[in-house]
Amino acid sequence: MSALAPTAVLLLLVWGTLVALDLVSVPQAMLSRPLVAGTVAGWLAGDVEAGLRVGALLELFALDVLPIGAVRYPDYGPAAVAGAALAAGAPWELGLGVSVGVALVLAVLGGWSLKQVRRRNARAIQRRAAALAAGESGAIRLLQYGGIARDAARGALLTGLGLLVAWAVASGVQLDRQTAVGLTLVAIGAALSAAASGAVRSAGRDARLRWLAAGVAAGTLLAVLR
Amino acid sequence: MTGGGRALLRLMAVQATWNYERMLGVGMGYAAEPLLEDLKTVDPVRHGEAVVRSAEFFNCNPNLAGLALGATARAEYEAVPGAQIARLRTALCSPLGALGDELFWDGLVPALVGLALVAAVLGAGWWAILGLLVVYNLLRLATALWALRTGFEAGMRVGSAIGGSWIPGAVARVGPVAGGAVGLALPLVAGWYLRGFGGIGVVGALAVAGAGAAVTRWFGPSLTSVRFALLAMGLLLFFRWVGL
Repeated sequence: MSALAPTAVLLLLVWGTLVALDLVSVPQAMLSRPLVAGTVAGWLAGDVEAGLRVGALLELFALDVLPIGAVRYPDYGPAAVAGAALAAGAPWELGLGVSVGVALVLAVLGGWSLKQVRRRNARAIQRRAAALAAGESGAIRLLQYGGIARDAARGALLTGLGLLVAWAVASGVQLDRQTAVGLTLVAIGAALSAAASGAVRSAGRDARLRWLAAGVAAGTLLAVLR
Repeated sequence: MTGGGRALLRLMAVQATWNYERMLGVGMGYAAEPLLEDLKTVDPVRHGEAVVRSAEFFNCNPNLAGLALGATARAEYEAVPGAQIARLRTALCSPLGALGDELFWDGLVPALVGLALVAAVLGAGWWAILGLLVVYNLLRLATALWALRTGFEAGMRVGSAIGGSWIPGAVARVGPVAGGAVGLALPLVAGWYLRGFGGIGVVGALAVAGAGAAVTRWFGPSLTSVRFALLAMGLLLFFRWVGL
């Protein structure tokens, strides 16, 4: 992790809050996809390449998630922001594994925090049940703004914690080259497994499976030719 | 349709109060407010009842919520009995959830993300990110606008309007595209990361990938891909710590 100016930390905090909000609350514009969140965070931290590498790897994990109904899933947005900040400034082969490891823990914590926000939303609605039953539009508006504020606070806290952990890991954990490279290879392997599992599960047994197989064949050919 | 623009904007935050009791309900009530404004002057009692109904339990894919929103708002103006409107809302939950999830979360999103990963790996840089954001948001906004208009025009007949629309056909087509895009991305991304690590590194990473796919399939939801990754990293650190 390269030394970050206070402005960069502040911008990362704002960006992490925005991507946390984007996941569910507003505007769901795909800012929270790790590929987007990580690359922008890398740019803010002064290392786009590191952000892109972290974001793309976390994106493979995110491809294993189908956010339907009340399903619980990790929040990869703020995690990608903290991971990119941690990876910035170091050779990616050495920094990627640790950064993705820290990001995955944060993503799980983010998923848990989302559940807490949903519970608090339910409690807020229960408190205003009488106003809702009376058809007060003002109560609906207040609930809505409260929900956004709770989610924003969740995002800010999660990103702040992530940046703090990133700073602590960068300044307190010294790994030898072999271990750092080993962690990176394990992270890459696990991410590929996650994306492949998600793709096969979604493919089922119909045309999509054939298209998946054709895509893998074409991708392999392209990868070999490059 | 007065207030359509504001309702469309508010639909972008339809999940802001998501909870395990009313799910999207309050968000739908928030988005319905501009659409129901004219009803306040025409029939204040009906308006109050409509506001109550608009914020009751509802769940579906947020990108297709406009269909239910428009249809129920139209039904309120046509003075359809409240119980019938409540039944319409309930009846729309499943189809709008299933179609929207297949179209967006299991179709368009993996397709565009897969293509963005391919573009990023091939050196497109920021264009890959920008392309993902622009294309997704254009398609999503166009869908939301169409949904709101179609719902409002169809009213209680929204079910047949959905059945005869472009949505079922698009769902059938987008899945294979998503499969192809993710399939194309996987080997390219693997090559992008593993080039330069040497044969042993590549074999090691692919062995972890194979083990992960097998183990997570074997243990099911109790061992997710994230848990497997953290477990594998923890094991590596442990082995290095004991000197292996």
